[in-house]
Amino acid sequence: MCSPEESALLRLEEVFSATLARINSLVLQPLLAAAPEPSDPRGRECLLLLQQLHGRSQQLLEVTEESLHSLRERLRHPDTVGLGSLLLLHGAEGVLRVHLEYIKSYTSCVVVQAFQKTAKKRSEYWRGQRKALRQLLWGVSPEGSVGTALVQALRQPLSHHVQQYVVLLLSLGDSLGEHHPTRELVVHAATVFGDLQSFMRQELDQAVATQALWQALSSRQRDALCTPTRRLLQDSQDIPVTVAPLRAERVLLFDDVLVLLQGHSVHTFNLKLVWVDPERDGCTFHLFTPEEEFSFCFKDPQGQVVWQWKVTQAVCQALRGNKDFPVLGAGLEPSPPPTCRSMAYTFLAEGRLCQATYEGEWCQGRPHGKGTLKWPDGRNHVGNFCQGLEHGFGIRLVPQASEDKFDCYKCHWRQGSMCGYGICEYGSDEVYKGYFQAGLRHGFGVLESTPQAPQHCKYTGHWDKGQRSGYGIGEDGDRGERYIGMWQADQRHGPGVLVTQAGVCYQGTFQADKMVGPGILLSDDDSLYEGTFTRDLALVGKGKVTFPNGFTLEGIFGSGAERGLHTQGVLDTAALPPDPSSTCKRQLGLGVFPVESRWQGVYGPFRDFVCAGCPGDLQEALLGFHVQSSKELRKSQEYLCCERTQLDDGVGRMDEVLEELLQHRQPEALQQCLRKALSSSLHPLGQLLRTLMLTFQATYAGTGANKHLQELAQDEVKHHARELWAAYRGLLQVALQRKGRALEAEEDTETRDLQVHGLVLPLMLPSFYSELFTLYLLLHEREDSFYSQGITNLSLFPDTKLLEFLDVQKHLWPLKDLTLTTNQRHSLVTDKCFLSAIECLQKIITTMDPREKLEVLERTYGEIEATVSRVLGQEHKLPMDDLLPLLIYVVSRARIQHLGAEIHLIRDMMDPIHTGGLYDFLLTALESCYEHIQKEDMHRLPSRWDSREPR
Amino acid sequence: MMAIRELKVCLLGDTGVGKSSIVCRFVQDHFDHNISPTIGASFMTKTVPCGNELHKFLIWDTAGQERFHSLAPMYYRGSAAAVIVYDITKQDSFHTLKKWVKELKEHGPENIVMAIAGNKCDLSDIREVPLKDAKEYAESIGAIVVETSAKNAINIEELFQGISRKIPPLDPHENGNNGAMKLGKQTTQTSRRCC
Repeated sequence: MCSPEESALLRLEEVFSATLARINSLVLQPLLAAAPEPSDPRGRECLLLLQQLHGRSQQLLEVTEESLHSLRERLRHPDTVGLGSLLLLHGAEGVLRVHLEYIKSYTSCVVVQAFQKTAKKRSEYWRGQRKALRQLLWGVSPEGSVGTALVQALRQPLSHHVQQYVVLLLSLGDSLGEHHPTRELVVHAATVFGDLQSFMRQELDQAVATQALWQALSSRQRDALCTPTRRLLQDSQDIPVTVAPLRAERVLLFDDVLVLLQGHSVHTFNLKLVWVDPERDGCTFHLFTPEEEFSFCFKDPQGQVVWQWKVTQAVCQALRGNKDFPVLGAGLEPSPPPTCRSMAYTFLAEGRLCQATYEGEWCQGRPHGKGTLKWPDGRNHVGNFCQGLEHGFGIRLVPQASEDKFDCYKCHWRQGSMCGYGICEYGSDEVYKGYFQAGLRHGFGVLESTPQAPQHCKYTGHWDKGQRSGYGIGEDGDRGERYIGMWQADQRHGPGVLVTQAGVCYQGTFQADKMVGPGILLSDDDSLYEGTFTRDLALVGKGKVTFPNGFTLEGIFGSGAERGLHTQGVLDTAALPPDPSSTCKRQLGLGVFPVESRWQGVYGPFRDFVCAGCPGDLQEALLGFHVQSSKELRKSQEYLCCERTQLDDGVGRMDEVLEELLQHRQPEALQQCLRKALSSSLHPLGQLLRTLMLTFQATYAGTGANKHLQELAQDEVKHHARELWAAYRGLLQVALQRKGRALEAEEDTETRDLQVHGLVLPLMLPSFYSELFTLYLLLHEREDSFYSQGITNLSLFPDTKLLEFLDVQKHLWPLKDLTLTTNQRHSLVTDKCFLSAIECLQKIITTMDPREKLEVLERTYGEIEATVSRVLGQEHKLPMDDLLPLLIYVVSRARIQHLGAEIHLIRDMMDPIHTGGLYDFLLTALESCYEHIQKEDMHRLPSRWDSREPR
Repeated sequence: MMAIRELKVCLLGDTGVGKSSIVCRFVQDHFDHNISPTIGASFMTKTVPCGNELHKFLIWDTAGQERFHSLAPMYYRGSAAAVIVYDITKQDSFHTLKKWVKELKEHGPENIVMAIAGNKCDLSDIREVPLKDAKEYAESIGAIVVETSAKNAINIEELFQGISRKIPPLDPHENGNNGAMKLGKQTTQTSRRCC
């Protein structure tokens, strides 16, 4: 059975449906048909709104028909069709949506007075319709204008209808038993339509108030502010507000903006970018917006409460983007609104951000978090912001005046300027990789022209406030010159060494980019000029030339374009050959650039990092990017951002790094741990090592591969080892500190040297080996060539002849090792004796670790002794009288290239603790073999020994 | 704990005079049982007490053959002491000794302690070099001199004790800092570059 309420609902829907149809034909159709296409924008707007309202009204009609249909079905078959089939019950939300749309459309028409304006155009017609309208409405005074009548005609039936819904649904709910299955649905529908009633009331009130406001404002203000969808929420004329420090006669809170009116000026603030900050005293609250901060002050706390609540709710509603339902402040999300928001905004005020658009995260009225800032001139910044300023990593593109080229800064920023490590690619085909401070290059950095640039130039060194200053390496690719020395104000200034591609070296003092005063010149043929330089690098001045043969020429030198080099002086042909240490083996730069202060700009940031307690988020700013190759950095901005996100968990990773150090402190584990750290480009120590390698290559590779720089380089490598150990110790202290454990005591020099030479040097040496070894190679080139000649001569001897030639006592000859084929005599076999020792010694070049090289040497000796003991059939301890000839034999047969360079490198890199000891002895023995092979009577031709028969 | 001083000692002398035999005897005998690495009979170490110090002798043998003479500076650079050995039965070897002394005076490390050992004193019946000659010569150059027999272990200990005594004691200040000063090391470092 059906309840009477259902029948009542049916009747209600029938009436409403008919009413809607009448309204349509009587009001909406004529309104739309009223005018030809209006010419003014306002008119067009009205027409659009009316068209929209017509559409909404049609939807309303459709949904009513649908509801009606469901009711008829239910009443026709009450037994088979359940109560739940009613559209009003199961589709309450849908019905509600259609109503909301209609109300929105209707209130917009009200706000802009669309009915009145349109009706005015055909006032004659509407006067004729008055009677019909009156039938539709009740309580319409005959005196009222047509417009007002229309406004009512489009609202009143709906209000009444919804009200009836609520009444009937509530009654229906009551009539159903407590446990009726559909009761829930009925109650829900009643609530929905109850809420709809409240919403309609609020909407209509707001619309009326807004419409009234537009009428009251000056036309200029209205033009600036009026839009059909905007609603007034609060007006300072109702509850007075005093604004400070901005001045405002009137404050209007709309649902999307906050407006301050002062005279003719209209100041609008988007609510999405308004932050409300309550004041404690109760009569004030603060508002933050992107460009203004101001306070609202009130006479009494009540006013403050109302305004603050309204503004806060309005901000929430604006951020949600939907009208609160059923009334303002009834939103689902809790207030207050979030302090961090994501939004776009274009700055208007004069200043560095004028006309710039920021899109991204905000906090309390300032860009804060990730965002993009774009200036109208094409500048563009993507990155992190803090309190309105660039802070953290960011990429800035700055267009160049000409062509479509950009300067691209991928840097760390602090409070709006570049600070810390960065990479900048300039549109001018240059790249800077290094540190910044206050937006300028400062500290260590490399400025290099890209391969596309017409001239190759590179500076690797220190900067001060944007200028080259301090120790640095300048490379001029065009002239094939490399300057190693001190700089000031972007010029070579102070002590310096200049090396040319051709192998000419200068050392002297530079002033304003020119070498003047006393200095030396070493030419590639080992001639030496010592004297004064008066015109940069030209040989002009008073001095002395020492030729490789020992002749000296002392006098005044000059050179001119047409005369060539000329001199007036005394040639001394009686002098002794020159001291190698002052000519061919002379080492430049010693004592002029103390190794401790050479690369401060590289060690410095690491120390800062340690001093700051190794904060993971600063690792990149202080130690540089960990990007594997520069190629990767050339890719797009987004790529770099993505690549780098791995570092966002830098804090956690740093903990791991430090933890690992703590857990690997025993010698063996420590070695493993350091090896891993140094080989990783993510580890702070690995990063430091990479930067040091960069400086080393910049100094000593290419043009810098000059024998006169060997000492400078080896000093540097040893110092780097010390610094890396100090860096490790620094990290360890931080790790201990973080765990609250006792710090390590300061090491004494001896323990430190032991660790540096025994542990760090072997691990880091491979990173510098190729450049360093090249320098040794060049320095000992001459001796090595004599040695090679010696080896070549000796290789002509068969084994027994060579043993004899070297005066090895015959009872020590391992003749058993000579396996003879038929017709072969002992005297013809080569490369068989002491083979195990020879093969062992050859391994010396397979390692870069000086200690391992020495161990190879020790094993080689062991092999010699083993062979001798085997030959003699008993253990035999070799005195030097016997050992040295055997060793010379083994060395000559091992045919190791560049043995001189090897020996000197081992000696320089050897742990000083071995001095005088076993390893020193072995190395000295090897060196004496090397010396012996170079000179002696070995350069005699093999024919000499051929005539001598074995004794 | 007593401070250990490492002393580099270089052995010079003709081949066959028994340089390494003397050292072998010195190193084998007596209490130094902790295995220290050696290179056959060419490089040996031995630690002996001397006053309130321990002297660790790092003994470097050299090849006595005439042809290797020119290599000797590499071995004696940085030495605190040199033991120059001759064979009392061979006048020639005493001549060679004089050449070594001369060279050390000219090119050797400053303040090097020189000790002359007349070896094979067990064969005094075929002696060619009178002890008196050796003593006079040693006195003229301010060197220690003893006649030794590696075979019969005569005067070996005394030879090295003599050297120990002639090593100047450590500067107390340096001693305080460091515990052990490595004499050999320091001289080596200063003299390395000349070669």
